[in-house]
Amino acid sequence: MSQHDRGIGRRSTLMAGAAMGAAAITGFPMVARGQGRQPIKIGMPTILSGRVAQLGVSSRNAVMMEIEKFNAAGGLDGRPIEVIVRDSRGVPAEAARIAREMITSDRVDLLFDGEPSSGGFAVHEVVRETGTLTLHLNSETSSLSADPRQRFWNAFRIARQGIHDSIAGGAYAAEIVKSRNLRRWMTVSPDYAYGRDTTAEFLEYLRAFAPDVQVVGETWPRLFQPDYTENVTRLTQGRPQAIYSCLWAGDLVTFVEQASLYGLFNQSQFFGVNMADYTTLQQIKQLPRGVHSGNRYLKNFPPVPGNLAFAEEYNRRYQTYPTNWAWQSATAVHLITEALKKVGGTDPRALANALKGMTIDSPFGADGKVTMRAEDQTLVGYAIGWGTTISADPYVENMTTADWSMIFRHEQEWKRAKGWA
Amino acid sequence: MRTALSWRGDVLVAALAFLALAVPAFLLGLPSVLDFVVRFAIFGLLAMSLNLLIGTTGLVSFGHAAFFGSGAYAFGLLMQSGGWSIPAAILAAMVMTALLALAIGALCVRLSEIYFAFLTLAFQMLIHSVVISWVSLTGGDQGLMGGIPKPPFLGIDLGNQGHLALFSLFCLLASVVALRQIVRSPFGAALRMLRDNPERAAFLGLSIFRYRLAAFVIAGTFAGLSGVLMSLYVSGAFPTFLYWTTSGEAIFMIMLGGITVFLGPLAGAAIFLVLNDRITNITEHHGLVMGTILLLLVLGLRKGLLDFVVDAWRERRERRA
Repeated sequence: MSQHDRGIGRRSTLMAGAAMGAAAITGFPMVARGQGRQPIKIGMPTILSGRVAQLGVSSRNAVMMEIEKFNAAGGLDGRPIEVIVRDSRGVPAEAARIAREMITSDRVDLLFDGEPSSGGFAVHEVVRETGTLTLHLNSETSSLSADPRQRFWNAFRIARQGIHDSIAGGAYAAEIVKSRNLRRWMTVSPDYAYGRDTTAEFLEYLRAFAPDVQVVGETWPRLFQPDYTENVTRLTQGRPQAIYSCLWAGDLVTFVEQASLYGLFNQSQFFGVNMADYTTLQQIKQLPRGVHSGNRYLKNFPPVPGNLAFAEEYNRRYQTYPTNWAWQSATAVHLITEALKKVGGTDPRALANALKGMTIDSPFGADGKVTMRAEDQTLVGYAIGWGTTISADPYVENMTTADWSMIFRHEQEWKRAKGWA
Repeated sequence: MRTALSWRGDVLVAALAFLALAVPAFLLGLPSVLDFVVRFAIFGLLAMSLNLLIGTTGLVSFGHAAFFGSGAYAFGLLMQSGGWSIPAAILAAMVMTALLALAIGALCVRLSEIYFAFLTLAFQMLIHSVVISWVSLTGGDQGLMGGIPKPPFLGIDLGNQGHLALFSLFCLLASVVALRQIVRSPFGAALRMLRDNPERAAFLGLSIFRYRLAAFVIAGTFAGLSGVLMSLYVSGAFPTFLYWTTSGEAIFMIMLGGITVFLGPLAGAAIFLVLNDRITNITEHHGLVMGTILLLLVLGLRKGLLDFVVDAWRERRERRA
């Protein structure tokens, strides 16, 4: 019996300890604090854990770096910006919850949605209801801003867009096709909506610019697949002259390393739209020479001092190079701070009106400027280019800049074909 | 007469609980509390419905989120198609989930223990794959996009956060009353007998298959309702709703709150959500902190919280007597 009593005693002690720990952390519900000279609050759900964490962290880093500069320069008439960043773990429902909580409990003035497309659409739905001014930093899926049904006054996309990349990539690849006579193509892209859509769009524009191209086979590895032997074998057996892929990040690294072993890059020209990002370039142990890639983020493209300075300051602070998500996030800060200064306050309607059609000087612009296009509230004029890889820093050379007037023309046709314009 | 009284008693308790939860939530007027009420209703109902299988029937299902997600997708698609009122769409989504549970259950409940668990898991992953692949209907991995219209009905506007909180709470409590009636009915007693001694039940002439299937369908239907609430909450439906991690979370809530006490899963859902929210607010190392706290709770209590409390209370009473 005494033994039994001791057992209970130990258990209740443990439980009390656990309960105290839980109580210390929880302290629910939160009570709004009194506010004096208020900072401008920005809420930012993004992915800080799991496979895409590297990108989410780079998005946060870039926001913090640029916000600090704005605050150090006096903020908005002495009002600094405060950013609240929370981890959605890549779960859309969690991103929606966090966004909602930031709006209702933390009472943020605006949202920086740092999610990729999946979570981005979830946040989009939340702010459609709440009317919170929201900047999507990392959603590249075209329909987010191109489809009129998805559009409403308070949501803006400050990210590259799938259709722009496809047109630019198709035009670049068509030039190579003509000069080297590459007719037989195959594709290897991840088997989910992004992979299927992006590949179809790229091929559509490749065929538009070079009608005699033939696609002789395609292979669709699963997302986060660890072994690509089967796909590489299909590609080597198909003997294509060129291969297109929109694999990205860790998947692309693994694929390139395994494909190198089979000599795939000696046999075929490889076009990887997501290759030129430092998260990928620096991870591949032996980067094959001559792989064609679109720019995600490169410190030497666009080759302007502002871009290099951004990369070096980022590198000094965080001991790593920026990513595609980083330049997009920095651009979001540049645009919103410009709008804040113009409006002189945080009224969401006024800020939205200021953002519409706003053009700012930017180190990431194709011609030194980027524009928030008024008609569909999405970023245009950012630098898009394609080049070929070399094995050491700066990893990519011979960059060809895409022509935005050509992109606009084809984008408009694409929208019309979809019934969106 | 007794059952009628207990039925009224349950409704009375539920009504009091409704007032006890709703009044402070509205007096405080904190949107965060309203948000919490909605999510508590969603996950509480999911865990309660799963416990009808795990706690009452003794069938550990790893695939319960299949019905949660199906409810969410069915409701979302119906509302997006236009022409449906919310109550009609909710009923239709629940009927669809019930039919799905009937089909899956008919194949699964013939097995028990680990075989049952794995077969439910397999069906869930099958449905998950269908949702991922059927991009034209479900939006694939990006989920059901474009928002879910919420036309007001009977003066209830679910686009309003307060109305949604009250509505979710009402759905939760109505379902809890219904589940309690089911558990206490002769049918519930039969389920418990199946759990404790299936051979004996079979000798007494009970059809194990039919009873288990009925429990499976009822549990799936209530999970479908919680999925409907979830799709109303996030204005969409996502493949993670029917991924195995969602089933895992529901099992975790039950383990936290207690299997044998009827309201255990509700307590578990509340603990899980509070921990989850506070932890994501203070740290990026969500998994590490959450894991440590749960480890302490599990090792310290060695059973669900309400199981522990009820056992301790019984023991004390016995010692006094």
